[in-house]
Amino acid sequence: MRPEPVPTPATRLEATGIEAGYGSLRVLWGVDLQVGKGETIVLLGANGAGKTTFLKALLGLVRVTSGTIRFDGENLTRMRTDQRVRRGLAFMSEIAVFQALSIEENIRIGAQTLDVRRARARADELYAIFPVLKEKRRAAASSLSGGQRKMLGIAKALAADPQLLIMDEPSAGLSPLFVREVVKTLSDLRTHGLSLLIAEQNVSFLDIADRVFVLEGGRIGFAGLVSDLRRNDALARAYFGLK
Amino acid sequence: MLAYTLFAGILFGLYFSLVGLGLNLVFGVMRIVNLAHGDFLMLGAYLAFWLYTLSEVNPVAVIPLAFALFVLIGLPLYYILVPRLLAANDPEMLSIILFFGLSQVIEALAGIVFGRSERSIPGGELGRALAGFVNLFPGAKMESGPVEIFGQTFPAAWVVAGLASLLAVLCLYVYLYRTRLGALTRAVMADREEALSTGIDTHRVSAIAFAIGIALAAIGGVFAPFMLGSITPAMGVEATVTSFAVIVIGSLGNPLGTVLGGIVYGVSYMLMQSYLSSWANLLPYLLLIAILLVRPSGLLGRQVRLA
Repeated sequence: MRPEPVPTPATRLEATGIEAGYGSLRVLWGVDLQVGKGETIVLLGANGAGKTTFLKALLGLVRVTSGTIRFDGENLTRMRTDQRVRRGLAFMSEIAVFQALSIEENIRIGAQTLDVRRARARADELYAIFPVLKEKRRAAASSLSGGQRKMLGIAKALAADPQLLIMDEPSAGLSPLFVREVVKTLSDLRTHGLSLLIAEQNVSFLDIADRVFVLEGGRIGFAGLVSDLRRNDALARAYFGLK
Repeated sequence: MLAYTLFAGILFGLYFSLVGLGLNLVFGVMRIVNLAHGDFLMLGAYLAFWLYTLSEVNPVAVIPLAFALFVLIGLPLYYILVPRLLAANDPEMLSIILFFGLSQVIEALAGIVFGRSERSIPGGELGRALAGFVNLFPGAKMESGPVEIFGQTFPAAWVVAGLASLLAVLCLYVYLYRTRLGALTRAVMADREEALSTGIDTHRVSAIAFAIGIALAAIGGVFAPFMLGSITPAMGVEATVTSFAVIVIGSLGNPLGTVLGGIVYGVSYMLMQSYLSSWANLLPYLLLIAILLVRPSGLLGRQVRLA
């Protein structure tokens, strides 16, 4: 069940006119996107549309050549990635975890911005949400199944107790069963007031979206409610086969 | 004869592990090749030589000083050289050129400052340090001189160098696997971009690893007069080649794999010295070629290369 859209939440993240790319190749052409407090945004787009580049630009992993990124009113555009993370952004990449390290170490590394006592308490909270990780906490992350690895990726990203979790294709490499499990986990997390920005091709994540943005060729082609997207015949057919 | 050779090979192997350890740590964390590694070893050797010559400081006492001094040199050197290198398209290749240049500069400056004559420290100094340490224990009475182990007699310098190297490896293990900063270091080794996106200050972690890397080389240098022969400004090149052979044999990018590489190298070295001494200088090159042809990922393989 899709929850009722949040009416007009206070803005947590505001990206305005973002242009970015790799060397002389420009990938993003003036992207505008906002995420409200406690809001879940799904950023849809085909391969090569610029989703990952946009997320990396938000984190400072790709240099923004034009535009502004504000988080809780503060301008992050020229800030280092570790400083953005300290301010409450968290990123879960497609890889999501350090495979060579143990589950416990992954979570500890995710919590490295917290002091030792708080990091330990946070790990206990996360083990309560993901009991399977507690059982296997001394095992290498590489020993986990694909779905469990995503759960660890989420736990690692949440370890620093962020305000905004940015996720790059959490469904990548997962069977439909595990995708449903990830969607359910994220749905549960929303109740804790966490803001989510999920870049995806998989429409299953629309079930938990308050709003959706569609990225086409590095530009925002659609921004609005999921119900509006479903009513847009061209977009629904072209991208998701919703009709 | 064979038992002596094998045991001496293990002592030398432990020392060669120390020689290669820093190079492998730097490569593992930054994926850059520090071709000036051997030159930092040479500088460590000169530090020990001058402190002994001017103030009769025992080389063992130089170890903490060498470590602290070269960490202090390594931190700013990292920020001057490496961040720009890592931002390049092919940092690995560029690092070879850059650090080769740095190696030449260090060697030339050392030649100007220290001269080209061969220098050495009397071998008995490490034996005195070992006897002094052992005699600290109640009831112990040890003369400084050769050490007998399992019926074989070895120069005390070899034993002290082997033990100190083992201690350095253990300290690095504790750092990497038992400290918070060590876990962050292994995360950067495993996946630099993932580490960055997790919020790790990868330059801070890398700078510390770089500084520890060259400080370990300098400690290796303190023992160089007893293990590698006389000190000259040109000794750095050979030390770098030896280090490179050791880490390629073990596992490139896995610091603890260096121990295996060092022991294989050390035992091979002593076997060559005992039975085919005129070929011994060819050993690093022969082992490098052989391992690259037969098992390019090193004896421990790719699985352990990442962390």
